[in-house]
Amino acid sequence: MIEIAIEPWETMVRHAEKIYPNECCGAMLGRLDDGSKLVTEAVPMENAYVGQQAERYELRPEDLLEADRQARARGLDLIGIFHSHPDCDAYFSATDLKNSCPWYSFVVLSIQNGKFNHANSFLPDLDQTSAEREELKWPKF
Amino acid sequence: MAKILIPTALRQFTEQSDSVEVTGATVRDALDQLTARYPNIKKNLFSDQGKLRSFVNVYVNDEDIRYLDKDATKLEGNETISIVPSVAGGATALAEAAPALSNEEVARYSRHLILPEVGMEGQTKLKQASVAMIGAGGLGAPLGLYLAAAGVGRIGIVDFDVVDASNLQRQVIHGTSDIGRKKLDSAADRMHDINPNIRVDKFDSGLTSENALEILRDYDIVVDGTDNFPTRYLVNDACAILKKPNVYGSIFRFEGQASVFTHQDGPCYRCLYPEPPPPGLVPSCAEGGVLGILPGIIGVIQATEAAKIILGIGATLKGRLLLYDALGMRFRELKLRRNPDCPVCGDHPTITKLIDYQEFCGIRPLNAQPVATEAAIDALELKRKLDSGDNFLLIDVREPYEYQIARIPGARLIPLGELPKRLRELDPNAEIIAQCKSGARSQKAVDLMKQHGFKNVRNMIGGITAWSDKVDPSVPKY
Repeated sequence: MIEIAIEPWETMVRHAEKIYPNECCGAMLGRLDDGSKLVTEAVPMENAYVGQQAERYELRPEDLLEADRQARARGLDLIGIFHSHPDCDAYFSATDLKNSCPWYSFVVLSIQNGKFNHANSFLPDLDQTSAEREELKWPKF
Repeated sequence: MAKILIPTALRQFTEQSDSVEVTGATVRDALDQLTARYPNIKKNLFSDQGKLRSFVNVYVNDEDIRYLDKDATKLEGNETISIVPSVAGGATALAEAAPALSNEEVARYSRHLILPEVGMEGQTKLKQASVAMIGAGGLGAPLGLYLAAAGVGRIGIVDFDVVDASNLQRQVIHGTSDIGRKKLDSAADRMHDINPNIRVDKFDSGLTSENALEILRDYDIVVDGTDNFPTRYLVNDACAILKKPNVYGSIFRFEGQASVFTHQDGPCYRCLYPEPPPPGLVPSCAEGGVLGILPGIIGVIQATEAAKIILGIGATLKGRLLLYDALGMRFRELKLRRNPDCPVCGDHPTITKLIDYQEFCGIRPLNAQPVATEAAIDALELKRKLDSGDNFLLIDVREPYEYQIARIPGARLIPLGELPKRLRELDPNAEIIAQCKSGARSQKAVDLMKQHGFKNVRNMIGGITAWSDKVDPSVPKY
């Protein structure tokens, strides 16, 4: 189970809506306790994909390295990656799977007509052949 | 001792240690020590064939070992080694099916393929890429030729013009036999002749606030080859809204500029020029002239930047304005910064959809007064007036070098710039007709004279170009 606190959740949604109609991306920092994860901070990152950013995203490893450093310095862990699917459901696509990494939760936000619609979290496997749905809790208003 | 930082998810394999100290002469030695000590971590980092998994990047301090000696990268013993995943994805898998290059293409692109910076991977990127060219004129000509030759898979051209003889001095994508054809058709034919593997999308219209987002949305990169301020601001704003790189170029007489706007976190055209110049202050190429070779240089710089962005290599002109002076044969460079208060790309943009750019550039003011028709005269009527021996003064407000190229018989040359101080040569009560190349400058002359109390001044519509079209074809058009 992964739970996202209100502040990081607002950061993620705001970032995704701002970057719409392109895909946004970023990292989630927080704590890991007995397999349950709590996200306490979201770090929006630049989509570094060269090409149609409306349907692709790419995180710079340097940005992840920096996020990991900052997390360590403050006693947090890098526990997940988020990205958006503009005008498209929050599923884990073949492209998402092929370029994933099994060490993190992957939260996908569906942004429809510029507004947040729904979200899901996924745990990809080591060989990048399948991804399991993970229970996701976000603050509901 | 070097230190390997362990990502959270892998700490279950390292007894919850967040860093592990290792010795070893190379990165490979260090990783081998790690996996020897914690065997379960191995399958997370290495495939069954013993290669680093595709999503694993290893950094020594701040450097990616891919750009050093890979896993043979040497260690002194005080480094911090980080394991950083590469993560990407996207809603669709459309871009997944990377098209293979045919044998014909491999032969065609061989000089690219043997460049390590391009190679099969880069050439495939070029083939999958799409570039929108705004304009198939001076800048668009070399751009279209080279993008086609380089193998950019899909090239969109937006242009509504037809090829004119006066284009051929610089628009090398068109030939003499193309005069009168649509530039779109002429350019597309030439590009397909150079490279039949590419697709050319033709947009037979001007770029407008109504169609710009729709057209440009489908392309990875936009290259601006326009010659006027309203379209330049339109392209800039559309690219800022769509978050697409805008490869900018402009030319005037013997000087050119190039930059890359709205690319990643870089500045936009408005960060450089928040406001357009007053209409008429900066002459267009049609008014001011241009060295025919100049757009070749600037257009090829634009093509180079577009290719680099597609390939992801080198340093682009993002955040730099390149200035080129053909007479002094000098390149200079200005640093540009994104303006946090920029209305389109700043932190709190106020322009979030396209506006009326004619109005923004002062070309069509909000409450434009319709030009009084009695203040204008066309070429045929002027001819009749001249033939009937009417007593009136025809003044030509062009420059002396234009007067040398062609003139209307009986016209008196007073260049627009000299007119204010030469008004007293003229009788404010006389009938005066002002004429220039196409009617814009002479309208300004008419306005100026009216402000100074001239009673009977009229503008000649269409200038000497209309004279050549309608009255005397032996007068050359330029």
